[in-house]
Amino acid sequence: MTKTGGSSTTRGDLRKRRGLSKLEQGYMGFFLILPWLIGFCIFKLYPFVSSLYYSFTDYDLFKGVQNIVGFQNYIDAFTKTKNVKALQVTFIYAFMTVPLKLIFALFIAYILNFKIKGVGLFRTAYYVPSILGGSVAIAVLWKALFKSDGVVNTILAMLGFSSINFLAEKNWALFIICLLRVWQFGSTMVLFLAALKGVSEDLYEAASIDGASKARQFISITIPLISPIIFYNLVTLLVQAFQEFNGPYIITNGGPRNATTLISLIVYNTAFKDYKVGMSSAMAWVMFVIVMFFTIIAFTSQKKWVYYSDDDGRG
Amino acid sequence: MKKFIACLLTMALALTAVAAVAEGSLTFSWWGGDSRHEATQAAVDAFEAATGIEVTSTYSAWTGWEDKMSQYFASDSAFDVNQVNWNWLYSFVDAQGNSKFYDLNQVADIIDLTQFNANSLAQCTVDGQLLAIPVSMTGRIFYWNKTTFEKAGLDTPKSLADLMAAGPIFAEKLGDDYYPIALGAYDKMILMVYYLECVYGKDWVVDNTLNYTAEEIAEGLAFIQSLEDNHVCPTSPTLAGDGADSLDKNPKWMEGKYAGIFEWDSSASKFESALNEGQEFIVGDYFTDMGEYQGGYTKVSLALAISNTAADKESAAKLIEFLLNSEEGAKLMKSERGIPLSAKANEICLADGLLNEKVAEANAKVLAWCQNALDPKFEAAALKNSDGVYYDAMDGLSYQDYSIEEAAEILVDGITEVLNAD
Repeated sequence: MTKTGGSSTTRGDLRKRRGLSKLEQGYMGFFLILPWLIGFCIFKLYPFVSSLYYSFTDYDLFKGVQNIVGFQNYIDAFTKTKNVKALQVTFIYAFMTVPLKLIFALFIAYILNFKIKGVGLFRTAYYVPSILGGSVAIAVLWKALFKSDGVVNTILAMLGFSSINFLAEKNWALFIICLLRVWQFGSTMVLFLAALKGVSEDLYEAASIDGASKARQFISITIPLISPIIFYNLVTLLVQAFQEFNGPYIITNGGPRNATTLISLIVYNTAFKDYKVGMSSAMAWVMFVIVMFFTIIAFTSQKKWVYYSDDDGRG
Repeated sequence: MKKFIACLLTMALALTAVAAVAEGSLTFSWWGGDSRHEATQAAVDAFEAATGIEVTSTYSAWTGWEDKMSQYFASDSAFDVNQVNWNWLYSFVDAQGNSKFYDLNQVADIIDLTQFNANSLAQCTVDGQLLAIPVSMTGRIFYWNKTTFEKAGLDTPKSLADLMAAGPIFAEKLGDDYYPIALGAYDKMILMVYYLECVYGKDWVVDNTLNYTAEEIAEGLAFIQSLEDNHVCPTSPTLAGDGADSLDKNPKWMEGKYAGIFEWDSSASKFESALNEGQEFIVGDYFTDMGEYQGGYTKVSLALAISNTAADKESAAKLIEFLLNSEEGAKLMKSERGIPLSAKANEICLADGLLNEKVAEANAKVLAWCQNALDPKFEAAALKNSDGVYYDAMDGLSYQDYSIEEAAEILVDGITEVLNAD
């Protein structure tokens, strides 16, 4: 009480000293965040809303909006072969990379949670790809690794296997793009590692006394207790997967035969190569709705499988 | 004191902004390779020294350049002087039909237009407005790695029959990864048009209409297919597997495993310099056994244009005049953008031996041979981009996703759609 009174007195003194009325001080906070608000409105809100409007028009990069086309762009998004193929590839990409990355990151985090020699070094080493992973340089390196006479094929040849044309065969090309994403598991792993460290040793001890195997302990203790982090990683990885651009753009440029053309590439190509901003906006909104849909599903389903320790139990 | 410092900082900012748009200050953009960058920057420095006009240069490689420039022009924030691709003159147009480029007839008293032949200026004239000054004319021609052909015990091809015969010999004597020529999807498209023009003697597009039937195009595609079938050129999967962005960056070209290309005459030095040491690069001849006619087309290689938004168009025109027509500019630019179309620059370069011999030889052959006209929409983004119609048809054929007839239909439909777009 005393503290609050003191604080109030101080604020009153400040107001007096600065000559600010109570109302003026009330707006002070607003003025202080005004630069951010202006930036948000110009660079986020306006493009966001205007892209929705453009998605119903024939907006051309040079010619501007000439006609309102209604839902035609959205119809094209789901009927034109190139777009449908991109949607399919994006779904395959997301549903391959998200579970694989989650499992792989959790597996490595689980191992690195053991008290082993040099664990700090291993943690750093496994985290490094995450720092480098999104960069253009790594995508270029990835391409060099998997080209027909690249390191991977050289190793395959040394082992007596026939070489694989990774960049030219449709399934392999998509696989190496996915592999690049999965390889960048460091950030996800660090979160899992932190969560694993938060699980009380007492629980494992009690389970051991009751005769639970390591696998049973992992399924019945570890997974439920780190489920909030699994949930967080799931949502962020889903969003990232649907927005992936760098890998397919640099490594395969969407090829071969559109096998790695994700929606993000279609959005870019349609707007900046074909100049069809209206169509591109529609594709961007389709992508937004898809991400939103899966995020809502994830949030809705969390009541069934995510355990929060401050709850009375599940859900 | 604080108020004084704040005023000082504000004034400094304002002065910087004013200086950026002040008269006598220009921005200039171009794309190209390192040698072009060096030559152009040297010429820009000389222009600054000669006129006192400050020029800020922006340059890069071609990859991604067109995307970036289209955004600059669309948002009316383009550089004052720009190196432009010929088809931009037709595609960078607003809804009212106004070009994004300034009519250079308005500065004809600064740029000496008499140095350029009427035909080349006509190619850059749209609706009576001269939108750019052509720097050079170019066309596609064969280049060979003579060393690799010699290794296979062959002379470089003088005819289509020679080329077709070389394929199996390369495979037998040098190995399956050796090919007499390498062609990307767009190269195949241009070669197919060249082949069809040789056979039928008519332009590809006339009066905004595709001048070839699906059956005729299928014949051209069958020719392209025969090159792959006879081990004359690698398939699209093979090229994709090489992991190179372009042929000049492909290690198999550098090593001589791909022993030929069908490329722009202005690209000769780029491809020659990419070869590893000890390999002889020569300019080929057009094949006389392809058909009765002299097919192939020439076009404006690239041009210099002033954007409509340039604040000081007179200074911009002075820069173009300096780069293309002045003695100093010509000597510094040499043949970095192909053989100069400017009569004066050409004369100076010839007299001083400044032209790249291979580029000059190739350009002379191109200009002497090619008879057909090119429609600007041939290079429309929806056709020639990597996700465009040409790539779809040519790669689809190579990947065996399409039959020859299906690929022909895709080309006819796609090209017709682009031609009818406006």
